Amino acid sequence: MNILNKVIGRFPLGVWIAIAALLALFLGYGMQAYSLINWDSAVDLGLQNERFTGDAAERAWAKESWGVTIADMLWALPIGIVALIGILRKKLYGFAAGLMEFTIGVYFPIVFAFQRWPSYPETVILAIILWTIPSLLGIIGLWVNREYFEDNRIISKKDQRRN
Amino acid sequence: MLEPTLITWMLIIFGLVFIFLPILYVQLLMVLRPQSQKTRDIIIGKGEDWADKTHFRMSYGAGWADIIIWLPLLAVGSIGVILGQVWGYALWAASGAISVYINIILWFSEREYVYPKCGPLAYYTYIWGFFIYWGVAVVVYTVLRLAGVTI
Repeated sequence: MNILNKVIGRFPLGVWIAIAALLALFLGYGMQAYSLINWDSAVDLGLQNERFTGDAAERAWAKESWGVTIADMLWALPIGIVALIGILRKKLYGFAAGLMEFTIGVYFPIVFAFQRWPSYPETVILAIILWTIPSLLGIIGLWVNREYFEDNRIISKKDQRRN
Repeated sequence: MLEPTLITWMLIIFGLVFIFLPILYVQLLMVLRPQSQKTRDIIIGKGEDWADKTHFRMSYGAGWADIIIWLPLLAVGSIGVILGQVWGYALWAASGAISVYINIILWFSEREYVYPKCGPLAYYTYIWGFFIYWGVAVVVYTVLRLAGVTI
């Protein structure tokens, strides 16, 4: 048995890691939410790189960053909330939503790395630390425990029949 | 086992024809021959050039991420769904989630340049719309199937 399958308290270790990874991603979404409220202040704090008042190239990057912020709030954050609820309730939809969330967390920093490494290498590294590494750990934690969620589905169906 | 239904097959075939194959073709061109005229004709428009270095790097980043992450997930997930496996649905839905995510970003970063060139019909279908419709459909369908609803 893999150490990530070892049950510690309520969940296997891998599932705990996935929960911790989700909470780490929520920290990143908090930064994104702050950026939406006050973009210039977020740039001052280093949460964003570009202003809408700069030259044409800076404005183009700012528009994309704004799009990322909106996508995080409208799509990635709700999926993350569904994932957290589903995982805590040991449901299969939580496993699936968790994988959706974590693959987004791996996908976009790769887009970002290929786009911006020449201009903002430190931001790329920050994105990898904040999103990619927790997401990869979350994927591993969930994937090795996929049968745990499937088994719970079977048990709950048996329980339903008994009731 | 989650046996494929008519709707499963429709979503898989739609994903293959309108998402996987066109994006595979375009993004392979983007990463292998990023500065070729053929790549520019397809990604920006016939005879057009990159607006600037920023525009090029945006497309280049998406090209690599699609080839490394999105398309393999879509392919492996589709196979898993055809085999009726839970993991297949999870990977398939993950590819749907990426499809919606990146196209929300494109709405803000590219719509003002792309929409006037292609018009509403093309934009809200094969240029942009299909990626949102298919992605949302796959995510919702997966959640329903995993919750025990067979449609």
